[in-house]
Amino acid sequence: MRALPWLYLALAFGFIYLPVGTLVLFSFQDSTLPVPPFDGPSLRWYREVLADDDVTGALLHSLAVAIGASAIAVLLGFLAANGLARHALPGSALIRILLIAPLMVSYLIVGLGLLIVLTRMGLGLSLVTAGIGHVVINLPLAFAILYASMGAQHENAERAARDLGAGESQVLCLVTAPMLAPAIAAAFFLSVTLSWDEFIIAFLLTRFDITLPVEIWSMLRSGLSPRLNAIGSVVFLVSVALVILFELTVLRRRRR
Amino acid sequence: MTASVTLDGVSHAFGTFHALRDITLEVGAGEYVALLGPSGCGKTTLLSVLGGFVMPDAGGVRIGGVDMTRVPPARRPTTTMFQDYALFPHMSLRDNVAFGLRMAGMGRTERHRRADAKLDLVGLRADGAKRPHELSGGQRQRVALARALAIEPDVLLLDEPLGALDLKLRRAMQDELKAIQRLVGTTFIHVTHDQEEAMAIADRIVVMNAGRIEDEGPPARVYRMPASLFAADFMGEMNHIPATVSATGAETPLGTLPAAGLVPGPATVCIRPEALCQPGGALSLGEAEVRDATFFGTHIRAHLSPKAAPEMVLVAHLSPGEVPSPGAVVSLTLSAEALCIFEGDSA
Repeated sequence: MRALPWLYLALAFGFIYLPVGTLVLFSFQDSTLPVPPFDGPSLRWYREVLADDDVTGALLHSLAVAIGASAIAVLLGFLAANGLARHALPGSALIRILLIAPLMVSYLIVGLGLLIVLTRMGLGLSLVTAGIGHVVINLPLAFAILYASMGAQHENAERAARDLGAGESQVLCLVTAPMLAPAIAAAFFLSVTLSWDEFIIAFLLTRFDITLPVEIWSMLRSGLSPRLNAIGSVVFLVSVALVILFELTVLRRRRR
Repeated sequence: MTASVTLDGVSHAFGTFHALRDITLEVGAGEYVALLGPSGCGKTTLLSVLGGFVMPDAGGVRIGGVDMTRVPPARRPTTTMFQDYALFPHMSLRDNVAFGLRMAGMGRTERHRRADAKLDLVGLRADGAKRPHELSGGQRQRVALARALAIEPDVLLLDEPLGALDLKLRRAMQDELKAIQRLVGTTFIHVTHDQEEAMAIADRIVVMNAGRIEDEGPPARVYRMPASLFAADFMGEMNHIPATVSATGAETPLGTLPAAGLVPGPATVCIRPEALCQPGGALSLGEAEVRDATFFGTHIRAHLSPKAAPEMVLVAHLSPGEVPSPGAVVSLTLSAEALCIFEGDSA
């Protein structure tokens, strides 16, 4: 009887991690096809991938877009959450719904819509336009996280700061934002991970400089290769690093 | 460093709820005033009006003779100490205390020197580098006090500052607050619902109920000779004896008591439990039988049934000694000053 829960756990994690595990395993394949039998381990494909300027360039583009778009989304989300949580505004419920609604819209629709608008406006497609798309999808999330954490328990500290002579911008920078640091970090890390491997919006809104998922897609068209497994493993590694960083900084502080 | 406060006909409503009705109050410079009342009586709203967090619907606020009715909190010579202390969790104690000085544009060295001096005042000089979460409730309280005093306000507003502390710490902090107030000379206005706290700490008590001031005066006077039945009950336990005022005095089931200057009609006689059995008192209400008695250390609390009205139950605090057994007879004597008579029916 004791074995049954463990079996269930093993099956559940197997279901979740088997595909990723297979991908990582065959990135160490020695021959040119990422299919059994496994004949590695070899770092041949990693060497090749890291020497490929297109791939490393795309990787840096992805990081830049993810970090830039997340920073903007978190800043806008923070200001919106502060405004709606701390001030009685007309139609605040409607504003909240409109801020969160893009979460429900498919990335394809967001991407297509932006593509039409941006081309009509005559803006060339670039990493900046992809970043704009990522701000659109990350802002609702950042807003929702920050709004939920802006409890009334911080309100008296803000009142105290005002009472002690702080202006509104000083209250925001010196009191509100530092008190919300864990939520701000959470919103930022989540935005980065979502933006980091987002494909469809980046695909639609970039042209010459592309992000890593778009690069992977264009490589996929020439068929399976352990190179792709190696890139995928690097992408996965970066995501894992982000999660561990998040765990070490935000969650540990919260537990204290 | 200190200033007088004048409230002139202040009224305020939240929607249809009248939190303050025509409040007029004078507080002298350097005075320690307690605003006392049950929750919902308007005392916290009144404090918010003084601090500038609520703009009253009508009336005026003057601090040190200057009209402050529409001045925002930051530009008033007041600071508020919030009930939950409202310390900045991400700053050290020194930075917390120095925050107001930093906002005033004071340089780091000078403001840290002053913050350390204020931490010294509240006995936390050695802990300047700690964070608020490392402190106990009483210590956070002290930091909040130091932070509020650091900008040297004329008037300090305290919103139930001791509400979250246990009883023993509370009594210790009361003494400390009082001592610090004497030292700095700042006008303190302190909101509380604890009448013992108000009596222990304040030069003057303002009893509030339903948005109005029921009574105001020195603690002993408000306790012994309250201006209204509400104030009488709120300041401590009270025996109510129904009475009818006529030309001869207040006629009660226990005899007629002197009631000079009262309008004839129904009235309520109020007597504190500790005043009820004072040997050698000038007034007598006859004898009473002890129903039960409990030893409380400083006194014996007894329920008494007067012989003249056996269905009535009076509470008396007898001097500690032999605990009387049920059925024992005591005489109800009291001094004339211990008697309060209010017009109208007893509640």
